[in-house]
Amino acid sequence: MRIVAGCDVGSLTSKAVIMSDGKIIASSIIKSKARPWESAESVMNEALQKAQISMNNIAFCVGTGYGREKIPFVNEISSEIACHAKAARWLIPNARTVIDIGGQDCKAIKLDEKGNMVKFITNDKCASGTGRFLEVMAKVLGVGVDQLGELSSKSKNPITCATACTVWAQADVIQHINDGVPIEDIAAGINTAMAARMSVLAGNIGVEREVCMTGGVAKNEGVVQALEKILGVKIRRIRNADPQIAGALGAALIAKEKLGEDK
Amino acid sequence: MMDAFLHAATSLENDYVKKWKSAGKKIIGYTCSYVPDEILHSVGILPYRIRGYGVGDTAIGDTYFGPFICSLPRCMLQLAGERKFAFLDGIIITPGCDSMRRLDECWRKANDDIQGILPKFHFHYGVPHKYADYTIKWFYDETVRFVNAVESHFNVRVDEEKLRNSIRLYNESRKMLEEFEALRCAEKPPFSGTEALAVIISGCAMPREEYNALLKNFLEESKALQGIKNRIRLMLVGSANDDIELVRVIEESGALVVADNLCFGARLYEDLVEEQGDPVFNLAKRYLAHNECPRRYGDYKKRLAILREKAHRARVDGVILQNIRFCDLHGAENGLFERDLEKEGIPCMRIEREYGPLVEKGRLKMRVDAFVERIRQKRREIA
Repeated sequence: MRIVAGCDVGSLTSKAVIMSDGKIIASSIIKSKARPWESAESVMNEALQKAQISMNNIAFCVGTGYGREKIPFVNEISSEIACHAKAARWLIPNARTVIDIGGQDCKAIKLDEKGNMVKFITNDKCASGTGRFLEVMAKVLGVGVDQLGELSSKSKNPITCATACTVWAQADVIQHINDGVPIEDIAAGINTAMAARMSVLAGNIGVEREVCMTGGVAKNEGVVQALEKILGVKIRRIRNADPQIAGALGAALIAKEKLGEDK
Repeated sequence: MMDAFLHAATSLENDYVKKWKSAGKKIIGYTCSYVPDEILHSVGILPYRIRGYGVGDTAIGDTYFGPFICSLPRCMLQLAGERKFAFLDGIIITPGCDSMRRLDECWRKANDDIQGILPKFHFHYGVPHKYADYTIKWFYDETVRFVNAVESHFNVRVDEEKLRNSIRLYNESRKMLEEFEALRCAEKPPFSGTEALAVIISGCAMPREEYNALLKNFLEESKALQGIKNRIRLMLVGSANDDIELVRVIEESGALVVADNLCFGARLYEDLVEEQGDPVFNLAKRYLAHNECPRRYGDYKKRLAILREKAHRARVDGVILQNIRFCDLHGAENGLFERDLEKEGIPCMRIEREYGPLVEKGRLKMRVDAFVERIRQKRREIA
């Protein structure tokens, strides 16, 4: 079995995954830099170091994400939609719906029984409903974005937050802070707002079980639970990898296919 | 050859327009494909389709239009406010949709503040929302009113024989464009969809005699070319698009746009004008009948049949249904098209975008890439 890799240069973070024998042997996540090729090289070097191999050991590498066309070392590129679809089936083998919330966009993808993409939709309006939304809100609250999920689980009386616009929602949050509303209630309101936004996209393609959630926001249990409540369907938790690396994982799986080692 | 088309398609005051003006001749701009070019041509006026192409920002447009409106008329007004249409001796606004109808009011209001941006001849050309005996009569009356307005303002006379000659000339174009359409839909099209759109748009921005001559040579040259193969064949449908960059972005993903149903595209040249009988009536009939735009009530099934036929004829692998943000007409209809075409096994992708140069290239490309991958995946499955 040859070693393959996937590199996902996203708008907020860049991710790399190295696979061998159908298993992830290393992965890495970094904050994206100003230039996509710098992000790609940094994140890949980090993953290579973890795997204790060099780029020469990689038989095939696929790039994805917004910076995909500027990654110097990839053999091929693929859209992040195709990569997330591919990764979702590896993570949850019978997934039919993929909900991906990335740094600056969110997507809902419908798969057929064989895992082929049959429909997809992305947000096309603004930052609302994306990782950036949570990042802005966490900053206003003075907490880390990874704390929002845990905080919301302690909420007794979640606030209602404007869902249409990140800037207005931010103004809402500041008002609630000034009014002395407990921070966990604000966090819960933020997560629900996020889920409400995403549910519109998911509803558009028609949600079918199993539902898999990828992207960094899938690590926020508050958003996942709120989304389950709105959609009325259980979202399968990913246990075998970090959902944030799904794009790079899908790219690595496509790389594996390209080598004819997918079966 | 292609350079001439690309030039005309990507500049407002192109060389043909400059040459026309320097000869002291008049140009009238119009906003919608319901205006019969032949009437203006017959009196020696150059008909010119007003566009929003090349806008950098929309500060002027935003001042007069509300925020929840199509960006095409907003961009048109912006360019008018920047005096980019100073070469026009007249404008015709048609209520193609509500956003476009508002351009009439907004342009007149903007002229109060930025004086001289509205030509002295400005005409509101009503177009019915149905095609029936009584609406043809209505549109005929409106066309007669238009003829009278042109005659009176420009001190000319629309002569029946000259009008017949103009109809013949434009029909010649349409016949050549039918050949062009056949080449475009062929197994190995000799030109890209980007080039095809440039050819079509040029027809709205240069004298018809020169256009026909260019088109004739282009067709002859194209027939000798080997043609493009091994691409995913797409049809582009929906809101007005005169920006060849949109097609270029789509084609950069390994696709080839081999058919369209756009008002700046194939809808412009389909169907001839009858040459026997009252020429004004024949024009009214053709322009009202041929233009299968969702602004027309009750004709959804007919429009779906057109798409189906085109998809079949051009052997398309998929359809991109795009609409400009806040374009309710195309936005709503695209949803129905998607439902019905997907049922027949034709993959569709809907995108909502801003008009022309405001298009979000990165996000659009990501979606087109994924759509092309979806089609390739389907092909592999079948194989």
